Amino acid sequence: MTERTNEEWLADLQSDSDRQGEAIQDLQNRLQRGIFYYLSRERSDLSGLSTHELTQMAQDMAQDATLRVMQNLTSFRGDSLFTTWATRVAVRVAISDLRRARYKDFSLDSITADGDVLPPASTLVGGSRPPGPERAAEQTEILAKVQSTLNDVLTERQQQALIAVAVRGVPLEIVAEQMQTNRNALYKLIHDARRKLRTHLETQGLSLDYVLNLFQE
Amino acid sequence: MDDQLRKLIDCIFDAHLDTIIDCETCGSQFNCFAELVAGGADAHDLLPAVEEHLLCCPDCREEYEALLAIVRAENQGLTAS
Repeated sequence: MTERTNEEWLADLQSDSDRQGEAIQDLQNRLQRGIFYYLSRERSDLSGLSTHELTQMAQDMAQDATLRVMQNLTSFRGDSLFTTWATRVAVRVAISDLRRARYKDFSLDSITADGDVLPPASTLVGGSRPPGPERAAEQTEILAKVQSTLNDVLTERQQQALIAVAVRGVPLEIVAEQMQTNRNALYKLIHDARRKLRTHLETQGLSLDYVLNLFQE
Repeated sequence: MDDQLRKLIDCIFDAHLDTIIDCETCGSQFNCFAELVAGGADAHDLLPAVEEHLLCCPDCREEYEALLAIVRAENQGLTAS
């Protein structure tokens, strides 16, 4: 099969002849191969699935992605290959599905919004040698300072979002859904929270090097 | 050091104090970015704002890395049927 140019993809996908059906099928097959590659080669968390299961997943995701590409053809701006743009749509579909499946039981309520989010200092340093009493006291003091900064500087909503995304590793997309906002707005909320925390801690004389050094074994 | 504390400390002190682009703006540019990087360009020399956003945003980074992996595989014929 000869590769289509961007113009040929658009013309064929919007054609009212048989070419449209062929182009849709070609696109879906291509997206399916890309998604299958991603699921089978780049996702170690799916290594327990059989080839048949991965093929089925890739097929379903490619079908959904093709539908979305067709619904959004007019938003293609032509600043990349059409196939790259369509693959990006497919990647969003695939990763969204995987995130939803993985975090289906996640609840933001599990994040302690108004209590301590940090564990006690005694649990924070691994290894066989516990810190001396002076160092342990300093660690406790700094942790309390970080905790109170979280409580004082951030809103409850910012705390929940920051802890869920930056500390627990929950995807923005999942947290945004539960907060009934969108990913873009959530990103800005968290970015603003991080800036406020950094500025506040730095004005108290706390630097990254100092904090890291304090908690290293 | 406790993993969660390390993540919190990193996320605070890695925060950029200047204005950076959001997910939507990043997403509108990273198709082209991925093609160039897959073609061998150095990400540092391309779109610094996109690269900076990818460092800060785990969702965009995951999607970008997936796209890049697929584009690279396609360029190498690894996804051919």
